[in-house]
Amino acid sequence: MKLAMASAALCAASAAVAQSNGHPNWRTTRDCAACHPAQSRPHPATSMAHALESASECAILRTHPVLSFNSGKYSYRIERKGDQSIYSVSDGDTTFSAPIAWAFGLGAAGQTYVFEKNGAAYQTRVSYYRAIDGLDLTMGATNLSPANMVDAAGQLMDHDEKVACFGCHATNATHAKELTLDKMTPGVQCERCHGPSENHLTGIKTGNAELAKMSRLKSLSAEQISNFCGQCHRTWEQIAASGKLGIVDIRFQPYRLTNSKCYDTDDARISCLACHDPHREVDRIDSHYDSKCQACHGGGKASAAVCKVAKQNCVGCHMPKLELPGSHNKFTDHQIRIVRANEVYPN
Amino acid sequence: MYRFALALLCAGACGAQSAQSPQDLLKEAIALQQAGKFDAAIRDYRQILDKYPDIPEIRSNLGAALAGEGHYTEAIVEYERALSSKPDPQVRLNLALAYYKTTRLTEAIKALEEVRKESPSNFQALTLLADCHLRLGHNKEVISLLDSAGQADSDSPALVYLLGTALVRDGQTARGQVLIDKILKNGDSAEARLLMGTTKYMVGDFSGALADLQKAVELNSSLPDLNAYYGLALLSTGDQADARKAFERELQLNSNNFDANLRMGVLLRQDEDNAKAAQYLQHALQIRPGDFGVRYQIAALELSEGQVAAAIRDLESILKEAPQFTEAHVSLATAYYREKRKADGDRERAVVAELNAARQAKEAAVKAR
Repeated sequence: MKLAMASAALCAASAAVAQSNGHPNWRTTRDCAACHPAQSRPHPATSMAHALESASECAILRTHPVLSFNSGKYSYRIERKGDQSIYSVSDGDTTFSAPIAWAFGLGAAGQTYVFEKNGAAYQTRVSYYRAIDGLDLTMGATNLSPANMVDAAGQLMDHDEKVACFGCHATNATHAKELTLDKMTPGVQCERCHGPSENHLTGIKTGNAELAKMSRLKSLSAEQISNFCGQCHRTWEQIAASGKLGIVDIRFQPYRLTNSKCYDTDDARISCLACHDPHREVDRIDSHYDSKCQACHGGGKASAAVCKVAKQNCVGCHMPKLELPGSHNKFTDHQIRIVRANEVYPN
Repeated sequence: MYRFALALLCAGACGAQSAQSPQDLLKEAIALQQAGKFDAAIRDYRQILDKYPDIPEIRSNLGAALAGEGHYTEAIVEYERALSSKPDPQVRLNLALAYYKTTRLTEAIKALEEVRKESPSNFQALTLLADCHLRLGHNKEVISLLDSAGQADSDSPALVYLLGTALVRDGQTARGQVLIDKILKNGDSAEARLLMGTTKYMVGDFSGALADLQKAVELNSSLPDLNAYYGLALLSTGDQADARKAFERELQLNSNNFDANLRMGVLLRQDEDNAKAAQYLQHALQIRPGDFGVRYQIAALELSEGQVAAAIRDLESILKEAPQFTEAHVSLATAYYREKRKADGDRERAVVAELNAARQAKEAAVKAR
């Protein structure tokens, strides 16, 4: 019952977003921009800001009128019809179809969809991948043989999965382990990291400095930041304890970074924020990170060796980009190290 | 016992002044107890014991009446006092039952072993002793106990079931299967389905286990331990909501089920309902004192509650006894970092890396075979 209600809310929330960009309780980057322009202005262009989109607003679905894919006896199709994208699966005899409610991920690497059927939410068995500009099996579904049309269409999402997915890909989507999609803003917006701003805004307006205080993420240590970002990107603790190691953990940057020899829980120079400004799109030019490496390896830290080979494009060698099977994408390995020829992927 | 106590009362009652004679009071107390009016019987026994405190039979009767009222802790005190004056296998068995009811299983085992020394053919003591060991997870002890008692080929459904369960839980599935077949000869039953489901669960066939356990629930949903195993199978197949309901059902039937208490604690901790989680986990620890899994969950709970020093103390204690417990090293590293003990945290992380590497190497070797 809980699942059905949450799913109905899921699609209702999707429709609400499609129809209106302004919920009275939603505070978007626009509200924060008045006082924090340096952070707020570049943020809407980031991937994180678009980590979740309604199907009606999804750029990939809008620019791809038809996407299709075949796997075994099943053929998949996503077809744009007005503001809707209809997901259909056919085994030649019968066809299953449902409108897509949500698109998860901006699609820099890939994008997976969620649809609702009979009051339940499902993750599509196929995803869009940028590298092939088309559909392929969703990661994790590659080894599954569907027993029926419903299995072939997608994987049922239980309550916890929905809380986890919406909790990371949207803002104010969950509260105390329950979905609050009526209060949700798609994507990672200011309040997803900084917390509720209502008191802060009231405090600013009324001159109440105490009320205006917000938690200062800048004051967190490298370890605390790693755990903070790891809420969604996975912490060392989660992965190390799960025992699920292998190339699949390359996506979990805080875990990988923590495994680096140079990781220091108390040194801000190795914190996630030392290299990445979450208000801006991630920088993909290797040389732009040189100064970050040189902060320690340029003589700034006694225990950090100076590279004998080069002083530029450090990450190109020490943070190799590795293919994650099934993802059609190479991920930057955040386990900083001296990479040996033919090395086995270090867990 | 009644006559003997009466004789003692007669001897001691000479010259006693009372509205009701001690003999009459004892007769009344026994009649009340037999009629299930434990409260009134307790009152009468206490009245007699005020004047004649050294009659063990009356004290053990008081213990039995207290147990009848559910006051097991007080019953234990009376049984122990009675036994200190006069050893008696039946009273000791009652004492063991009271320990069992209060989940003091280790003490119950000691008492039952004494009973078996005094009265080796006592079937109830044997069954209860095997059950205590089973609840503590001492599967090998159950097998050894029943084998050495010559009960391996018993036709008693209770013993077949206890031995079958211990064998399955100990991984001796082939021998366990023989006992499952023995139970199945009498037709499909919840007991047989539970054993089959448990066997499949132990070898990782969770959907197969779920099917058998579901059938067992249909046949007899009040079978002890059944709902707990059903919950475990549901958890393993991803149905957390129904698993929780199954654990709750088990605890309604049997509040001393270890797995149901442990899993409820874990589920509530996930929901950040830490106060309730702590209650279940502490109860699980009471059932199986020293269990690493429960102690780890309690330490993790302390960590999430900000009781870092307590978490460190508990995790260090676990790791002294179980140095290969990877999750405990992981949590201990986190706890050290929170206490700004970087060197200790780094050391724990290095241990985790070593343990994970060793585990992976082992898995790779198994795959290569």
